[in-house]
Parts: sequence; C-alpha cells; structure tokens
Amino acid sequence: MKLSTKLKLAMAVPAALFAGQAVAQELTVWDWKSGDPATQAYFESAKEAFKAKYPEGDVKFVVQPHDQYYTLLGTAFGSGQGPDVVLLHGGSQTQTRSEALVALNDEADGFAGADVFSVDNDPYAVPLTIQGFVVYYNKSRYAEAGLNADAAPTSWDELATVCEAIIAKGDVPCFAMGNKQGFGGEFFVTLATANTFTEADYTAWAAGELAWTEPKVRAIVDLFVEMNDRGWIQKGANSTAKFMDEYEMFMRSDAAHTVGLLSDVAHWKQFGEFLGDENLGAFPMPTPGVAEAKLPFAGGIGWGVSAKSENQDAARALVSILTDADRQATFALETGALPANPNVDTSKLSSPSLSAILGIMAERPAGMPHAVLNPAVLEEWKRQSQKLLGGETTADEAIAAMEAARAAN
Amino acid sequence: MNEIKPKNSRVERRFAVFFLAPALLLLITFRLIPLGWGFLMSFTDADNTGQANWVGAANYIKAIEDPTFQDSIVNTLLLLATMPIMVMLPMLLAILIHQGVPGGRFFRAVYFLPAVLSSVIVGAIFNIVLRYDGSLNSFLDSIGIDGVDWLGSSNTALISLIAVQLWSTFGMSVLIFMAGLTTVPDDIIEAARIDGARFWQRLYFIVIPSLKPIIEFVAVVTTVGLLTNMFGLIYVLTGGGPGTATTMPEFLIWLEQGKLNRPGYAAALSMFLFLMMAGVAYAQVRIMSRNAKV
Repeated sequence: MKLSTKLKLAMAVPAALFAGQAVAQELTVWDWKSGDPATQAYFESAKEAFKAKYPEGDVKFVVQPHDQYYTLLGTAFGSGQGPDVVLLHGGSQTQTRSEALVALNDEADGFAGADVFSVDNDPYAVPLTIQGFVVYYNKSRYAEAGLNADAAPTSWDELATVCEAIIAKGDVPCFAMGNKQGFGGEFFVTLATANTFTEADYTAWAAGELAWTEPKVRAIVDLFVEMNDRGWIQKGANSTAKFMDEYEMFMRSDAAHTVGLLSDVAHWKQFGEFLGDENLGAFPMPTPGVAEAKLPFAGGIGWGVSAKSENQDAARALVSILTDADRQATFALETGALPANPNVDTSKLSSPSLSAILGIMAERPAGMPHAVLNPAVLEEWKRQSQKLLGGETTADEAIAAMEAARAAN
Repeated sequence: MNEIKPKNSRVERRFAVFFLAPALLLLITFRLIPLGWGFLMSFTDADNTGQANWVGAANYIKAIEDPTFQDSIVNTLLLLATMPIMVMLPMLLAILIHQGVPGGRFFRAVYFLPAVLSSVIVGAIFNIVLRYDGSLNSFLDSIGIDGVDWLGSSNTALISLIAVQLWSTFGMSVLIFMAGLTTVPDDIIEAARIDGARFWQRLYFIVIPSLKPIIEFVAVVTTVGLLTNMFGLIYVLTGGGPGTATTMPEFLIWLEQGKLNRPGYAAALSMFLFLMMAGVAYAQVRIMSRNAKV
C-alpha cells in the first residue's frame, strides 16, 4: 500500500519527537540549596557525573525560596507537573507526599536516617544529611557567670543552676529562642521527648495515637512553661525569628545557649566561625528524671524522584549520584553537614564541639518526634507555644487544644 | 433620508464582540474557570498528590467548626471595624493639604511614598522597628518606658498590624481624596466662610457631602485591600501569630494549601472569602448605581 505524502509526514513528526526524547535525558531538579555558593562544588560534581553516565543528558537545578518551597512543590505536584527530582526534608514533609514520589528502596539501602523518609518501610527519598538538635553554649558567658566553662550541664537540675547563674549575672538571657514562626516550640517537641520516648512511643506518636495528656507528651507543655516561668527564655521570643535572628543573637554572644542543628546551618561549623571553636560547647538537652540525655537525630534532607517524571531511570540514577560517597563528602566539607551515607570519611570534619556531638550520637542516639507529628497538629502546637510564652494560655488549656487538634486530624 | 439597516447593526455587534472577546477570554480563563475549579475542589479531600475524593460539604462543616478559621473571621471583623479610621484619616489629611497648610506638597509626597513599597518591604521595615529588640522599644527604653513585644503579644500584634497596614495604604487614599476635593465648589465654601461657618461646619455640611461618592469608593477599595492584600505583611511581620492573633482568612488559605497540603479544604475557605468579597462587590454596585441615579 502506497502511503500519501501527508500521511508519511504525519507519522514522521511524532517519531522524530519521540526519538529525540529517548536520546536527551534532561532532568529538572528542585531544591533550595543550589543557589548557595558554598554548595556549588557539590552540584557541579553531580552534574558532571550525570553527564558522564548520560552523555546526551543534562541536569537543570532550579533553586526555589526555602520558605515557599513546599507551597510551590505542592502546587506543581497537584497540577501533575513539577520537577523530576526534588530535595525534601525528612519526616512529614516527605511522608505526606509519598503518593507523589517513587519508592527508592535500592538507592536508600544502608543509609542512616532513611526511616524519616519512609512510609511502611519504603523510603521515598535518599538521605543526604543527618540532622538533629543539640544545645550549644557560649563558654565565655559561662566563665563570666562564674561557671566551669568545660562542664556542660548533664541534668535538669544542673541546667537550672547554670541558668540561674547566667540570669543573676544579668548580661544575657540563658536561652535565645526564636518562636515567631513557631520553630522554637516545634524543636521543643523533640527536646522534651527524645530522652523518654521508647520505640513503641515513637510509633504510637507517629500514628497520632499518643494523647497529649500522657505524661511523656504532657512534658512538652510542662517543661516549656517551666523554662518560660523561670525566666530562662529571652524576652520577645514570639517576635524573634529562629532563622536567623535567634542564631545571630547567639553568634553575637547575646545569649548563653541556643538550640541548634547538627548540619547545614545554625550548627557547630557556623557557630565556631563566629565564636571560635574553642569557645563553643555542646550538650544534649537534659530533662527531669533522666540520668543521661540522648541526642536526637534523623535523616535531615534527602533527594526524591517524582512519580510523574518521564525519566524515571535517569532520575533514580541522578539521586544515586547526588547521594554517593564522593558527592556527600564534598557536601559535608563545604557545609559542615553530617553525611547520611555511611561510606563517607568524616575525619576531615573537626571541631571540639563536633567531636562531643559525634560521641553522644554514637552512645545515646534518639529519634526526632517532631518530624513525624501530623503537620496540622504541629501547626496547632506552634500557636499554643506562642500563647504559652506570652502567658495567654495555661498548660491545661494548651493540652486541651492539642487534644482537640489531634482528634480533628 | 438614510435608514439604518439591520445588517449594519449586526456588523456593529459583531465588531463589538470582536473587541470584547480578548477581555472576555481573559476573564473566563483566569477568573471564572479557576473559580469553578476551586468550587468543585472544595467538595473533595484533594491533597496535592493528584488524588481527590468527593467528600460533599465536609470541608465547609469543618471550616465552620475550625477554631482557627473562627478566629480569623473575628480578626477580619476587628479589622473591618477600623474602617472609619482607614477612610477618615486620609480624608482629613487630604483636606488639610487642600486647605494649603505649609509644606502641603512635601506631605503629599511623603504620604504617598509607602504606597509604592511592596508589602514585604514594608513588613521588613516594621519588623526592625516593632520587634522586641527593635527601634521603637529602644526609643521607649531611652525615655524610661519598658519595651512591649508589639508583634509577639496577642494584645498588641493585631493593632500593630493594622497600624502598619494603615501606614502603607493611606497615601493612595489621600491622593484619591485630593482628586475628589478639586470637584468641591470653592464658591460655596467661600460663601459659607463669609457667612461665618467654621472649619468643622464647612467640613461637615459642605465638603463631606460633596465627597460622598469618593468616600464610598475609598471605603470599598480599602475593604478589598484589607480582605485580600494583607498576606505579605502578615507573613513577614507576625506569621499569623502569636497564636491566631493576626491570622486572616487569606493567610489561613495559604497555610492549608501550601504548608498542610490540603487544597480541598483551602478551596472551601476560599469560597467563604469569595462570599465576603462578593458581598462587598454587591454593596459597591448598589451604592454606585444609587449615586448614578442621583
């Protein structure tokens, strides 16, 4: 049968288009990191490694503003569009979006912190960093208050003694806290429960089955109120942004303590650059009745693949490249982030406070309950924490509100 | 005598449709279709993963029972209660400038300056001024007054937000009133002044009645701005807090859609906001129609 010219053209055009797509693997990657000059070597290295594997391919990193990231991502996913590969935080930000992502069991095998990127034991992102909370303190402020700068508090009573001395000196508050967006309260969920939650508690908590009236959960509210009532927390916390007003306050030596992170930002590397490594100390947050405080940490940020990506194989390969040992080592050295890939040599990362942190991580690890709290319940806790700091509600009223939020969500 | 043939009327109508079509197309594409889509979405449990199941009126019932949404409505009503100040203050300033106070041109420029700044920039400026360790508390401390957490206390956060909103928008209203004042007959005011009418009497009996359509226009525009254009300011200044002290419906919609991944519920909240706006628009049309008949 002889084909008409028009029919031949009609068949040739889509064939050419599809042929072109099979050859060119252009991936779009969304993140909030690639605009940071400190991470350029990491992203360039990943791009080169991808092109070595896919010579016809290319990677386009699109940096999105961090505070709008999930709004933009949600809109993109909801409309069926969006990037091929996405950077995600561990915990509910990944877990609530698992339907829009691809399970990456093979790629995440053996990585630390994969559990907070997982639903039903299937990881939906491969961890890039480990993230956690630790209390950093200014050794000079300790010395000025007549305290032993090398003796970090190991119990709630010792912390009380330290704060009373700092307050009595009168120069700076004991704790800087930025609770404008509720992050101070959010972090406190983990600080107050990391030492007491068992694995069963953690599982029940993640499922929303642990009531806020349970003593271990109630402690979040009670300890928060106690710290505020005893004057440990700076005034004006509700109008201070955690990122970065609180941390800049600590870096200016305008506060004795801050609850900082382990990786990326507001961590040992950044604080050490301002205060001096020898002037910076770190300890896990003690809570009443606990002999040895634990250090909560989990997967920090990780790379996921969109279920709607038309280049699944290439996207998975890119995620493997972005999280392989070479790339993670580059990222760790550039940013001071703790790598999730166990094959990365961290010996080049060093500071006295980091050494202390790594030791406690190995000996007394704990999970991060705030990361798996239902997002709507977490938003309610942020509101309640602000009202508690302002004395506008009581612990019992806050707990009642949290129980109502838990029931509604 | 030439008759107007029906054929020419048809041609004129077709020509009119041709000119109206682009605007209509934009209206339908970017207003009506999204409105309808949002309305349908409000009856689902859409969660930004592409899945959406029909849930009927559940989102609307949830909104009515949601204490955060209830607080946002109360905040909106409190905000709208400041409307008289939002309208009268620019009017009085415009009248004073029109009267020829010294430095009138300077004041006109200064009052309008905030209107050219984006709400994010305004929020960033006042964040520095109003935070607990900010400029205002530093000044108060220098004169022996204890600082207040203007943005961090439920007692002061909303009023601080309203004050900043007033500062950033009243300049435009001043300009509108000044334009309207040029239509007030000077000879009537002069005659009243000669007859012994005082400033406030001239204001109350002559100027304000003459400015009635302008006052109504400014009131409607200000209301629309309060209901739909405060997101940037809230986001930067207070984040909707402390608690729900400065949470407004449009902020809550963003929270539900973007942070909590519940576009179905956010769409239901949007419908409530749409109804509020529709009420304002209806009132505007009624008032302007009444003025047109006068």
